[in-house]
Amino acid sequence: MSPGRLAVHPSHLIDQSRPVEFLFDGRTYKGFEGDTVASALWAAGVRMFSRSFKYHRPRAPFAMTGADTNCMVRAGDEPNVRACVKLVAPGLNVTPQNVWPSLNADLMSLSSLAARFMPAGFYYRTFMRPKFLWPWYERVLRNAAGLGYVTLETPSTYYDKEYGFAELLVIGGGPSGMSAALSAAGRGARVVLLEESPYLGGHLRHERQTVETATGERLPAYQLAARLSDRVFANRNISVELETNAFGIYEDLWIGAAKRDTRLLKIRAQSLILANGAFERPLVFENNDLPGVMLGSAAWRLLHLYATMPGRRAVVVSANDDGLRVAIDLHAAGIEVAAVVELRNDPDPTLAAALRARGIDVKVRSVVVKAHGRRRVERVTIGQMTDESPSLSGTVDVTPGTREVVKCDLVTVSIGWTPATGLLHQAGGQTAYDTTAAESRVTQLPERVRAAGRVSGTHDVTTAMAEGEMHGLDAAAELGLGDGASTELREKVASLKATQLIRNSSAVHVRGGKMAFVSFDEDVTVKDINDSVAEGYSSMELLKRYSTLSMGPSQGKYESTNTMALCSAANDEPIATTGSTTSRPPFHPVSLGVLAGRKMEPVKHTPMHDWHVEHGARMMNVGLWKRPEHYGDPAEEVLTTRRGVGLIDVSTLGKLQVIGSDVPELLEMLYINRWRKLAPGRVRYGVMCTDEGMISDDGIAANLGADRWYVTTTTGGADGVYENIEWNLQSGWTFDVHVANVTDHYAAMNLTGPRAVDILREVTDIDLRGDALPYMSVREGHVAQVPARVMRIGFTGELGLEIHVAAGYGLHVWETLMDAGRAHGIIAFGVEAQRIMRLETGHFIVGQDTDALTDPYMANLERAVRTDKPDFLGRPSLVHIEQRGIRSKLVGYRMLDAHVVPPEGSQIVVPDSTRPIGLEIIGRITSARYSPTLDASIGLCWLPADGCEPGAEFTARVRGDLLPGRVVSLPHYDPKAG
Amino acid sequence: MSFTLLKRGLRPNRPPAPMWREHPLQDHYDVVIIGGGAHGLATAYYLATVHGITDVAVLEKRYIGSGASGRNTAILRSNYLTPEGILFYDESIKLYENLASELDFNVMFSQRGHLTLAHTDSSMRTMQWRAEVNQIQNVDSRVISPAEVKKLVPFIDTSDRPRYPIMGALYHPPGGVIRHDAVVWGYARAADAKGVHIHQQTEVTGIDVEHNRVVAVQTNRGRIATGTVLNATAGWCSLIAAMAGVRLPVETRPLQACVTEPLKPFLDTVIVSGTFHFYLSQSDRGELVMGASVNPFASYSTDATLDFAEALAGHVLELFPSLAKVRLLRHWAGLCDMTPDFSPIMGTTPVDGFLVDVGWGTYGFKAAPVSGKRMAELIATNRTPELIAPFAYDRFFTGQIVGEKGAAAVTN
Amino acid sequence: MMQLECPNCGPRNVSEFRFRGEYVERPHDGADPARRRAWAEYLYFRDNRAGVQKEWWYHQAGCGRWFLAERHTKSHAVENTRYWGGEATS
Ligand SMILES: Cc1cc2nc3c(=O)[nH]c(=O)nc-3n(C[C@H](O)[C@H](O)[C@H](O)COP(=O)(O)OP(=O)(O)OC[C@H]3O[C@@H](n4cnc5c(N)ncnc54)[C@H](O)[C@@H]3O)c2cc1C
Ligand SMILES: [Zn+2]
Repeated sequence: MSPGRLAVHPSHLIDQSRPVEFLFDGRTYKGFEGDTVASALWAAGVRMFSRSFKYHRPRAPFAMTGADTNCMVRAGDEPNVRACVKLVAPGLNVTPQNVWPSLNADLMSLSSLAARFMPAGFYYRTFMRPKFLWPWYERVLRNAAGLGYVTLETPSTYYDKEYGFAELLVIGGGPSGMSAALSAAGRGARVVLLEESPYLGGHLRHERQTVETATGERLPAYQLAARLSDRVFANRNISVELETNAFGIYEDLWIGAAKRDTRLLKIRAQSLILANGAFERPLVFENNDLPGVMLGSAAWRLLHLYATMPGRRAVVVSANDDGLRVAIDLHAAGIEVAAVVELRNDPDPTLAAALRARGIDVKVRSVVVKAHGRRRVERVTIGQMTDESPSLSGTVDVTPGTREVVKCDLVTVSIGWTPATGLLHQAGGQTAYDTTAAESRVTQLPERVRAAGRVSGTHDVTTAMAEGEMHGLDAAAELGLGDGASTELREKVASLKATQLIRNSSAVHVRGGKMAFVSFDEDVTVKDINDSVAEGYSSMELLKRYSTLSMGPSQGKYESTNTMALCSAANDEPIATTGSTTSRPPFHPVSLGVLAGRKMEPVKHTPMHDWHVEHGARMMNVGLWKRPEHYGDPAEEVLTTRRGVGLIDVSTLGKLQVIGSDVPELLEMLYINRWRKLAPGRVRYGVMCTDEGMISDDGIAANLGADRWYVTTTTGGADGVYENIEWNLQSGWTFDVHVANVTDHYAAMNLTGPRAVDILREVTDIDLRGDALPYMSVREGHVAQVPARVMRIGFTGELGLEIHVAAGYGLHVWETLMDAGRAHGIIAFGVEAQRIMRLETGHFIVGQDTDALTDPYMANLERAVRTDKPDFLGRPSLVHIEQRGIRSKLVGYRMLDAHVVPPEGSQIVVPDSTRPIGLEIIGRITSARYSPTLDASIGLCWLPADGCEPGAEFTARVRGDLLPGRVVSLPHYDPKAG
Repeated sequence: MSFTLLKRGLRPNRPPAPMWREHPLQDHYDVVIIGGGAHGLATAYYLATVHGITDVAVLEKRYIGSGASGRNTAILRSNYLTPEGILFYDESIKLYENLASELDFNVMFSQRGHLTLAHTDSSMRTMQWRAEVNQIQNVDSRVISPAEVKKLVPFIDTSDRPRYPIMGALYHPPGGVIRHDAVVWGYARAADAKGVHIHQQTEVTGIDVEHNRVVAVQTNRGRIATGTVLNATAGWCSLIAAMAGVRLPVETRPLQACVTEPLKPFLDTVIVSGTFHFYLSQSDRGELVMGASVNPFASYSTDATLDFAEALAGHVLELFPSLAKVRLLRHWAGLCDMTPDFSPIMGTTPVDGFLVDVGWGTYGFKAAPVSGKRMAELIATNRTPELIAPFAYDRFFTGQIVGEKGAAAVTN
Repeated sequence: MMQLECPNCGPRNVSEFRFRGEYVERPHDGADPARRRAWAEYLYFRDNRAGVQKEWWYHQAGCGRWFLAERHTKSHAVENTRYWGGEATS
């Protein structure tokens, strides 16, 4: 047996035959497999783990549950790790947090000397003057705050997600949860049981008391835990997830849980039983945060799970039988119990007698007043409570003259339990404070949600198991399995619950002293609460926000009840009317990595993607797509295309197949322009508007004949256009049409330039002679031996042949064209060259030159808007706009200096001395490029509708300089004219 | 150290003075402001201080700041897209800069800079556009390179690894964050001191209109006769307007936000990424404060959703991969009153005496001072100040929609 | 996560659907100068009820059907869903 450790016992989680070495604060320590960092360090005599948030006070394990934050450390590259649940591992490097320069010589701890000048919210009252010093003050505040740190070296780890379905989900693997799972599973329900610890059994696992099973058998608690646990694991209807923290209950019983801190579990449950227990309640007294002061259950966990001596000489504070049992168990482990400080008048006589028989002094109606010691508890002051205590407030006083000082290195506190109702509230349940029981009780639960055990105020093991069984049977019945709990069982649960012993003291605070902490997370004291309430932050929500109570990393789990009691006292109102703050997910903090899971950012590649990459394309993101921006020299791509021929991948265009006898009617409604007379074999450009009359998309529609049409949209526009068509078709447009979004089914490429026909002719059976394929027409046939659609369209001014083939043939056709074009000097060109050429031609791009407030009149499309059609999307708005007139217009321009290309977004201004820098904005440049064809700086810009005729000059503010430009008529460049 | 703190520290047993008082509900007030958020309280404050109108009640159904004002991520900036927007928000920032000393309450306005990241060439274009417009309005704002971003934010990944690499950013040095509750409390205290009555737990249940004129409001605590009512209820504004028979161009959407456990400071600036739909900053407490876009459907529920947390975490880690082990601590939602053009609705309505200061969507906290000041001016003078004229209710009928929509991605 | 019942597919996670907003009737005479206000109301103004609202949904990651739901905007309880012009389910 190692020093500080107890003899091996079946309830222990550690294996004392397997030592594990790890580091803490630079020194090597030894623990055992199964040890937590906290248990191993405690056994080794370490009594300070980190420093607190505000006053940098020494802190060490307090609850041993993973739910408090007194033992937060850094472990490896992970900040804010709860040492009390973090398992030791060989070589694990653990370091203290929030210390400077070191754990033992922390300079910031001096701040507690100034605590009287730092009441709650002190920062709201100071650091205001002089104003210019605030950034400096703020830096000091920031450096003092925070806990752990992050480094750039932290690697991103692999995380995954798992989806689950449960007929019944049980949260909590204690006696009530296991009973619920077993009874429901017994009826055939498929049950999932989540348990945060690495074992089942809940509190039974660390208790030694004798308990009674449903059949009347009596056995030690830890043995009952093992027995139930065996049955659960053996049941094939129950799947158990250990080390799994349920952190959120979302709508329609969608539950989020973190498994081993590395995997997100999302479970849709049909029914839910909450059996997630309670948190033991701290007592608020002077220096109640000193290392060595801990909850009774924490001492139990150290003793009975980790074979670790919590101390050598203990003072046990007790207000329920748990406290008396802690004293017995400490004594049994060889720890001297200096005194049992019992708040009640009449502790259980059998237990009290057992203690006296062991020579332990039980001081009734007594309380601990203050802990003493520099970095760990060395002594405590205890005293007799006055007759008036506890008052309404839960604040007790000690009769003068009854104080005595007792030497000890351990103070355990067992004064009550706070049901862990966070998840219950998230699920939509309600609770109300019950003054007699001195705890919150469930008053209402939503459908399909039940609560059993301590979370529902059932503290007795036998009762908890009966309650779990009852709920399990009822949940199964709701699923159509069996007919629920018997009346007998129901009555038994009701009567047991009604007669259970009260486990909670209404005393929460022992008066006197300033460093009496309600919140260990945030170092909030009783005085802070009283002051805040006096200042007007009187409701729980305002109090929380002002004092930061319950805003720390434990989310107030250990302070909520005490806060309610103290807040009600400060307001002089009953605790039942004080209410609580809203509990929000996550119930346990959950890492961003777990929430994020694997990277899920879709990327779309065209069928020719690899070719582009192999040929040196610089790829750019366009929506979800990757497109070649250029293959090295966009200007060269422009010139070669205009002189000879180029090929561009336009597979990213949205593509719709529309069939039916009413397609022209549909198009009439969708687009602002006319369609009815478009003959088979013809193609037309169209613009779509929203009902507000704003341009939403553009593209072409081709009449393929026999009621078959092919429609393209902008890249990224297809889904929206398709959805909108479908919405109209499913909400009143009664056209005979059928629409399919075939964007990804076709590859598309545009063969552009004077030599385009020469090349295509070599590889197609489509007639390209003379006027066989006029501008704006479409033919179906074969290209490179595969079925293809060829449209003669283009926005570059050059002859353009757009070829659409099934996606699987895309690369083949592309390569065939490139081969056929080699002799003609073909090159592949990218988005940049295309943009330059379309700008040279004067075409606008939806979303770049237009925005959500651009109507077709502003974009020079007045001739396309056919308000003489009976109706179309946007028509009423366009009629109004036409009447009202427009204020600005999109026009072409040239900068007077051909070598100045303004950044897109540059503003067009006029002088106005009343404006901040003497300029008023009258327009803006939306597209700007150097045109290699024209050797000019050209673009499109917005200008006031009057005064934007070709020839008008304007001033653009370009990188701070005011430079002249001139409006020109479009196109900038016309190959036919040139 | 401030004198008050010193005094309190030396006389620890004296209870501190209350910030605001409780009053019986009068049966008449000259002005009734519905909504105890930053907008309602700021309006009350400026009515009392600038215009001497103190017979004012602020009615709040829960506690002050319980709406969006106590739930927002408190990002302040003035680098908007339209000249009218910039002028307006710029005045607000200037008021905020002096607010702590004006109210004698440290609202902790922390101007540590604001970065809007661009990940696509189209957002680069919008950033340039915004920078240009801002500079012409004399607002400090410029486009910077990924290398400059890295210098300001060492933790950000400016490599090609993210799905959408950072191409640049709009940098707005005067932008930053503020302590939202402090703004609410500071205004409340100052308004209270001037005689304004702040009634918490007072819910408006009806508005009496006679001959197209407001005559009274009904509350759970009784009727109040008044000729002037200001609707400053943000997410609930449609419901209050309906009581007066007025319909609004508003849809209520929840917006969620969350914080991580506190960490030592490592991030000074506010980061916004439109493409990845998130924004984050590090508070003075050390928490990372994070948010994203509004919920995908209309709702009055303030429940947090898991989808939001998952998507947000994924997006944040795209750009900050070394934060994978940082834990999400608290997660909540507030209601946002979304308008079609991402701009507020301020001023008069078709019902006489019924005014609105609503439509604040996801961006209204920064506007509380200027809105309060200008709405107070409107109430006191009966004339619509020029600064808020572009945001008139009537614009939806006259086609004068505001152009902020062009820059809308993540809009705080 | 909330579940929504597609009239075609049954209950599904709400993340499969896209919301299009409150149901509004498009005036047939919106272009009439005398009906400008009514047209603007249709475009921009909404009841925005805190209660049961009739609204449009699209089963985007599913069958592609558009349908109407009557949903409580606070509790999110869905009273019924139906195709346009169809019978209500549940
Ligand atoms: C998560 C989130 C993040 C945000 N981030 C930012 C940001 O970074 N920057 C920014 O500038 N803005 C942000 N916003 C927006 C900003 O918070 C709001 O626009 C702003 O706070 C609105 O203030 P308000 O005073 O108008 O409304 P609120 O603060 O919402 O106040 C309205 C009040 O009206 C009360 N009320 C409602 N009905 C009644 C009734 N019947 N009777 C009496 N009282 C009633 C409510 O209880 C509420 O307190 C964010 C919003 C949210 C939700
Ligand atoms: Zn479906």
